Amino acid sequence: MTELSSGVFDQFRREAQLSHGDLFMRYFELGGMSTALQLEAFVYGALEPSAHDREVIAHALNERFVELGGNHPVPYGLR
Amino acid sequence: MTAAQVASRGFRVTVRFEGEQALVGVRGELDILSAPTLGAFFEAVIASGFLSVVVDFAELDFADLAGLRVVASAASRVVASGGGLTIRSPSTMVAKILDATHLNQLFRLESPDQPRDRLGPEQSGRPAESVLRSEPRHADHGLRKVSSVPADNDVVDGALRLVVALARATVGGADGVSVSLRRHGRLVTVAASDQTISEMDANQYATGEGPCVDASVEGRWFHTASLDGEARWPKFTPRAKALGINAILSSPLLAEDRPVGALNIYSRNAATFTPQDQELAAVFATEASVILTNAGVDVSDDQLASRLAEALRTRQIIAQAEGVIMERERVSGECAYTALREFSQKSGQRLRERAQDVVASTQWPHGDPGPGEVLL
Repeated sequence: MTELSSGVFDQFRREAQLSHGDLFMRYFELGGMSTALQLEAFVYGALEPSAHDREVIAHALNERFVELGGNHPVPYGLR
Repeated sequence: MTAAQVASRGFRVTVRFEGEQALVGVRGELDILSAPTLGAFFEAVIASGFLSVVVDFAELDFADLAGLRVVASAASRVVASGGGLTIRSPSTMVAKILDATHLNQLFRLESPDQPRDRLGPEQSGRPAESVLRSEPRHADHGLRKVSSVPADNDVVDGALRLVVALARATVGGADGVSVSLRRHGRLVTVAASDQTISEMDANQYATGEGPCVDASVEGRWFHTASLDGEARWPKFTPRAKALGINAILSSPLLAEDRPVGALNIYSRNAATFTPQDQELAAVFATEASVILTNAGVDVSDDQLASRLAEALRTRQIIAQAEGVIMERERVSGECAYTALREFSQKSGQRLRERAQDVVASTQWPHGDPGPGEVLL
């Protein structure tokens, strides 16, 4: 299992050049169930997302990184 | 101690620094117009390294979710940095919105006095005394349930049906709910819970008046507790009463801060909507507005952008694929999602494309494929 320290999702978000709104749309598209405000709190590390939410957020970011030529740098299997 | 102020249309922010703590006083109406001002103050406070922030709402008259968004964003950043944000003297409405959106974990709420029941414009009635309850309102359960409805070809209307079903399931006293959006310069009903509700909306478009029309044009919410004696909409009111409706609550939907439609909640009974219902309606309307804004709704031609339609289409395909895998593999929805995601990661195929393949596999001529073919 991998554990992300607080705010790492936000670091990835900035590296992926996504606004909070952009990330929310990608997360929503991939089946995310939380609100935009909750997602922002998850990304900053202020609220604890569920394991499923973590997976969706990570994949939303990773699909963006693939678009940018990367290869899934955001770890899955987070707790 | 340093102090800073700004005054605009009755809205004012005061910042004081006491030791390592920043005290942010907010006065007046905190809404989508004033929120950026407060956000700028938070930026300055956080950039100055203050990790203990107290936001005093004792003199706040009104706050909607758009306004609270900047507070939540600041709280997220402060908490993530190891600090804390306290809301002092939250009003009934503020506490309720934080609760309904599951954001109360982000804040410490501090009520030196009795909870305040100060309400915003158009609100009436007595709020419940226990708004700081710990049991969350599971609006997202409604979302989960609604999202499992079979996919419809009209994905845009499908998204708005989701809002309708969510509001109807959660807002007490709702006999019907609809969403109106301005398309091609005129209001149309894009989702309605039943035919009567569609007729209610149509009557407002035909007469050019009613709470739905006003909310869509003016960008604020309208409430009529009883149509008996309602004088604002003389042509529409008799038609509404003929359909058996007696109370209406319309909340504006905004895209990029401009009104583009309304979430309408109808009841057969007078005086049925409580202030809590009004607050919840505002929460759902704001959430819908966030989606519309993020989707880049083009308010110039009043059409939903293709981005939202595409996102909804993808969402539905993924949900269908999950259903296929769950049934074939006898696994939970989350396991099914993980199977899709793992395939996507290993193969480089986008999750949406994998989901499309899984859904298409149900139409293969030679029967169901084996588990490996679906999952891998």
